[in-house]
Amino acid sequence: MPARDVPPINAHANVPLSAGATVSQYDDVWLVIPAYNEGQVIAGVVEDARKTFPHIVVVDDGSTDDSAEHIATTGAHLVRHPVNLGQGAALQTGLKYALAQPGARYFATFDADGQHQTADVEKMVEVLRRDEADVVLGSRFIEQNGQVPWIKRVVLRTAAAVSPTARKLKLTDAHNGLRVLSRKAAEQLNITMNGMAHASEIVGFLAASDLRVAEVPVDILYTEYSRAKGQSLINGVNIVFDITMRERDR
Amino acid sequence: MKYFWIQLLLIAGSLSMALVFIRTWGQAKNRAWKRIAFSVFVVVNVYAVLRPTDVTWLAHKLGVGRGTDLVLYVMVLAMGFLTLNTFLRFRSLEKKITDLARTVALNEGARHNDERLGKPEEGADSGSAKVKA
Repeated sequence: MPARDVPPINAHANVPLSAGATVSQYDDVWLVIPAYNEGQVIAGVVEDARKTFPHIVVVDDGSTDDSAEHIATTGAHLVRHPVNLGQGAALQTGLKYALAQPGARYFATFDADGQHQTADVEKMVEVLRRDEADVVLGSRFIEQNGQVPWIKRVVLRTAAAVSPTARKLKLTDAHNGLRVLSRKAAEQLNITMNGMAHASEIVGFLAASDLRVAEVPVDILYTEYSRAKGQSLINGVNIVFDITMRERDR
Repeated sequence: MKYFWIQLLLIAGSLSMALVFIRTWGQAKNRAWKRIAFSVFVVVNVYAVLRPTDVTWLAHKLGVGRGTDLVLYVMVLAMGFLTLNTFLRFRSLEKKITDLARTVALNEGARHNDERLGKPEEGADSGSAKVKA
C-alpha cells in the first residue's frame, strides 16, 4: 500500500444545524441502505429517513423474507440482488446506482436496522458542504455516550488502535456503518470484499487515497432488534482472515 | 540434527511453493505447472505402491524413519495446496458472480424504479440516467 500522508481533520461536534430543514435542501444527497432479511423494520426505517432525505436506494441483498415487498411500499428506490452476496457487495451496488442518478453529490451509507439517525447524517453532510473533507465517518467514541456495550467498546477500540490504516487516519472507530462520501470519493471507492470485511477495506482505501477524511460523533441506537441482528464479535475472526487473503487473487 | 534434512525439505518446499503459487495464480503458466505436478504425483504414487522399499530407502536418506511417514508428510503438503487452490478458485468465482449479479440488479432496478416511482424529473436528460453496470 503506497504510503502517502493524509492530513486528518477531526471535525468534532458544534456543526450548526439549520433549523426547519426543507426536503429540497437534501436533494443532492442519496442514502444507500443495504438490507438483508429486514422485513420487520425496513419500511419504518426508510419512511422515517425519507422525512429528511428524499432520495434513498435500498439494496435488497437477496433476502429470503418479505423485505422487497415492504421496501416497495415506500418511496425509496429498490435494487435487488438475485442472490445473497453480502453487505459489502450491497453497498457497492447501491453506490453505483446512486452515482448514476442525476444531481447526486453526496452519498451516505446507512444501516437498515434503525440504529443510525438522520440527524447525524445531516451533521456529516454539513461537513462535506463546507468542503472540510471528502469523506466523513461516524464515530461512536469521539464523545462518550455510554450506549455501546462495554465489551464491544473494548474490542472496537482495540481494532481501531491496532489497525495500521485506522491509526494513520487517526480514526477512533474503524467499523462504523455510517459514512458520507462526496461524489469524488464515491467514484473512486470500489468495494471488493463482499462480506463484513468491507469496513476495513474502506478504511484501507481511504488511507491509501489522498481524500480528506473526517470523523463526526454519532449516536447509535442499540435496540433489541439491532443487537440481535448485529455482528457478533466472533465474526471479527472472519474479517481478519478475509483481509489477510484479499490481495491474493488479483 | 537427525531430522534436519526432512525438516528443511518440507519447510522450504511449502514456503516456496506457496509463494510461487500465490504470485502466479490465474496465469496460464501456473495452470500448466499444476497439471505437470499432478501427473508427476500420479506416476510417483503408482511407483510407490509397486516398490515400497524404494520409498523407505528414500525416507532413510532424508532422515525419516519409514517410507509411510514420508508419504504422509508429502500428503500433508499436497493437502495444504489443494485447500489453498480451492480457496483461491472460490474467491475468483465469487468475484464473477458478484459482477454478474450486480449488473442484473442494476439493470432490473433502473427499469422497475422508473415504472414504480416515475422517471427523475430533472428535465430532458433524465432519460439518459441509465446505470452503466
